[in-house]
Amino acid sequence: MDQLTGFLTLSLVKAAPLIFAALGGVVCERAGILNIALEGQLTVGAFTAVVVSFVTGSPILGLAAGIAAGALCGWLLGFAATRFNVNQIVAGTGINLLALGGCAFGLTVVFGQPGASAEVHALGRSGEYALILVAFLAAAGLHVALNKTRWGLRTRAAGENPHALASASVDPRRVRVLATILGGALAGLGGAYLSIGELDLYSDGMTAGRGFIALAAVIFGRWTPLGATGASIGFGALAALQFVLQRSGIPSELMQALPYLAALAALTGITGRARAPKADGIPYTG
Amino acid sequence: MRPWVAAVGLLAIAALAMVVAGANPLLGFFALFQGSLGGPSQIAETLVQTSSLLFPSLAVAFAFRAGLFNIGAEGQLIVGGLVAGVLGVHLIAPQIIAVPILLAGGALGGAIWGSLAGILRARFGGNEVIATLMLNIIAALMANYLVVGPLHTPGAAGPETGELPVTSWLPTLLPGSRLTIALIIAILLAFLVRWVFDRTVFGYELRASGDAPDAARRAGINLPRMAFLAMSISGAMAGLGGATIVTGVLHRFNVSLSPGYGFIAIAVALVGDLDPLLIVVASFAFGMLQSGSLTMQAVAHVPKDVVSFVEGLAIVALAARRFVGTRKTAAGA
Repeated sequence: MDQLTGFLTLSLVKAAPLIFAALGGVVCERAGILNIALEGQLTVGAFTAVVVSFVTGSPILGLAAGIAAGALCGWLLGFAATRFNVNQIVAGTGINLLALGGCAFGLTVVFGQPGASAEVHALGRSGEYALILVAFLAAAGLHVALNKTRWGLRTRAAGENPHALASASVDPRRVRVLATILGGALAGLGGAYLSIGELDLYSDGMTAGRGFIALAAVIFGRWTPLGATGASIGFGALAALQFVLQRSGIPSELMQALPYLAALAALTGITGRARAPKADGIPYTG
Repeated sequence: MRPWVAAVGLLAIAALAMVVAGANPLLGFFALFQGSLGGPSQIAETLVQTSSLLFPSLAVAFAFRAGLFNIGAEGQLIVGGLVAGVLGVHLIAPQIIAVPILLAGGALGGAIWGSLAGILRARFGGNEVIATLMLNIIAALMANYLVVGPLHTPGAAGPETGELPVTSWLPTLLPGSRLTIALIIAILLAFLVRWVFDRTVFGYELRASGDAPDAARRAGINLPRMAFLAMSISGAMAGLGGATIVTGVLHRFNVSLSPGYGFIAIAVALVGDLDPLLIVVASFAFGMLQSGSLTMQAVAHVPKDVVSFVEGLAIVALAARRFVGTRKTAAGA
């Protein structure tokens, strides 16, 4: 029984950052921006949270800064994609590289050592659990907001048919930028959860591809907040299962690869027809 | 944004970052220059980086020109390197036979890896961006599993094969350096790609399916077939690059054989305006950054990661170049 509780708890602990990032991905894609920079936004959120907590001694401020940094990173994608019509995929790849390099650079500058930061004041166990709760609330909130509010309608319109939105005198570009800021903020929150929620430091590569697993969760969850959350919980359970099955002889690499394989399967359509928002990834040129 | 504006802006940001790091930017740039072009051995190392970047950059450009986003050059390079490394440790043959076999094996491995995304796109209409992103990570995990587990070379420590026999090494161009004929192969490949695009029907069909997919379809071009071929050929080039790193630079396969060449390649391809010959020049410039960054870190105390930061910015700034917006298909399945 204790083992089962332990496994379920660990699953949720591992799922929370995926949920945040996947929700960020859902908002962006529903608004028509393919955000493959989730990994970079997680990284920037994790790093900024640690730096601010280190400088101010307050993990709460660190958390806020992590969210803000993620939002800024999201804005960069949205701004580039709507103002200059840059290709979203190329820009997203650039932001990932920029974020990884920038944080590794910043780490050496701030902490005087490459690899990992010093230990900083973290949110602690209770803060970590509170954030897990926040992840679920965010999922429910986003579900309602996307489906029941005017903002949600506009966001979905920007992703399905931006020209219709424009004929209703709403600028799809604005809607899209807003979505990328929100999406980046959510991913930044996920990053802060990793560095000062689950742990109390930042180390290079600590996001370990979670931004890409989150992208997989978005597809597997068919671009809906609740679907993506469900997929994230499943992937979180897979991560927890790795600890349980460590000595079972099942290659850990296979377990790690499962989310990505699941995403590929979802792309082939064998898991049921899934359809991306119609204008996802296509620049709106007015 | 005009290229020279972008270049000046990026240099200014790099200088600013050096100041933030408490370093003298002039010293930083000088060290970067010294470390990349300061002497024969530095130039040789820069050319090693040039050729390692040139293969995946041509791969990325090839797919881009056909309207496909191959974000998976990194994974294709890893698979190509894996095939070359695993074959290479076991292959006992004279150099003249062994080397071509290993290079062909690497290209084939990369082609298969690239074709997976191509099949997904051609057969199911699945988005190649997401597919190649996922395949990158799957490639690294698979390679790690294979070289540590079932295909382990006796005596090898860590996620790598043992050292390849000397007969499997690429011939060097400059004794005592890591510079091999890989550079010549890469440059010939650039000319070949340019020839294919400019002078062959196949190249015309590829460009047409990228620039005007609707018109291409009406003209009878089989778009799914083009997607499959473009991704396979693109993957073959990246895989060939991985094989040259294994047989020419490291003389073994290691899971972390690439410091992100497949991603930097996107910047190189964009800076080179998707023109194979300009990409040769761009690869040299980025090769300088790769090889000079360690000297910059050692002499001027600028963390070498500033290079990937600036490369990332370059990609964002240059993403607005001409080929953008041609894509008309939605993301995802």
